[in-house]
Amino acid sequence: MKIKRFIQRIFGAKKQKPASSGLAANPSEKMQKMMAMLSGTREVELTCDQVFALLDQFTELAAQGEDVAQLMPLVQHHLDMCDDCREEYKVLASILHGAT
Amino acid sequence: MDKRTNEAWLADLRAGGDRQAQALEDLRAIILRGLPYAIAGRLDPNSPESEALTEEVVQETLMRVLEYLDSFEGRSQFTTWAHKIAVRAALTELRRVRWREVPLPEMEMNEETDTSYREIADDQANPEEQLAQTEMMTRVNRIIMEELTDKQRQALKAIMEGFPLEEVARRLGTNRNALYKMLHDARLRLKKRLEREGLTPTEVLSVFERART
Repeated sequence: MKIKRFIQRIFGAKKQKPASSGLAANPSEKMQKMMAMLSGTREVELTCDQVFALLDQFTELAAQGEDVAQLMPLVQHHLDMCDDCREEYKVLASILHGAT
Repeated sequence: MDKRTNEAWLADLRAGGDRQAQALEDLRAIILRGLPYAIAGRLDPNSPESEALTEEVVQETLMRVLEYLDSFEGRSQFTTWAHKIAVRAALTELRRVRWREVPLPEMEMNEETDTSYREIADDQANPEEQLAQTEMMTRVNRIIMEELTDKQRQALKAIMEGFPLEEVARRLGTNRNALYKMLHDARLRLKKRLEREGLTPTEVLSVFERART
């Protein structure tokens, strides 16, 4: 699950109990999700519209094997924080991957 | 005919007449090849709903491509830009369909009754850990009640429940971009308040992690 991986990335790779569905199953999981979000929160973040404007470029660079987290860190950060944008990125990446 | 340059795409789509019609037809075929990646795992690809959604998304994408053609800056392949528009349109509709029957979580509007973040502690924890977890949930809940507006709390709760941002925005009568900004403000407020109370997210989490180690 994406949020689990995000939590692990922030707090270390401790084993997490997999959630049974897309819904946060219990208060502990909600708390984990919220704290992961707070931990990742920065003073300045790109919005969904700003990321959408850059997403095609970002996805092509990633598909070419470039270090996009280094090249476009604010986009990468937004994708870590925003499930909707991350989902769109992954679909776009799979399209580019399928087209090659 | 996928091999147009970006400049050729722009020229053809602006040309009007048969030249534009051919470019739109070619772009339509390209978008149709990409859409199965958006639908996969979200909707039965052989269902009538999938067919209808595909047609709707293709039409919408072609209209948007023409509408926003001047905003294409050439930072990617033109077709990637078009796919991006199609993916956004497809996932927006798929999210709406997926979540249309699910009501937004109810909000209790006072600190005493809102148990959103302080229900029962982890049942695998020992009594001492459960007490610590309950106390921490109560503390975090109090901070949420004091720092956030009703709308921020409702949106945050929905996101915690797994709702897509897009769908929460639609239900709250706003748009995804504005909702992200609102939630960013909420997250910043909570993070700063935790800091003022001498807490970090890691420390809060550690209360819930101990029972799992």
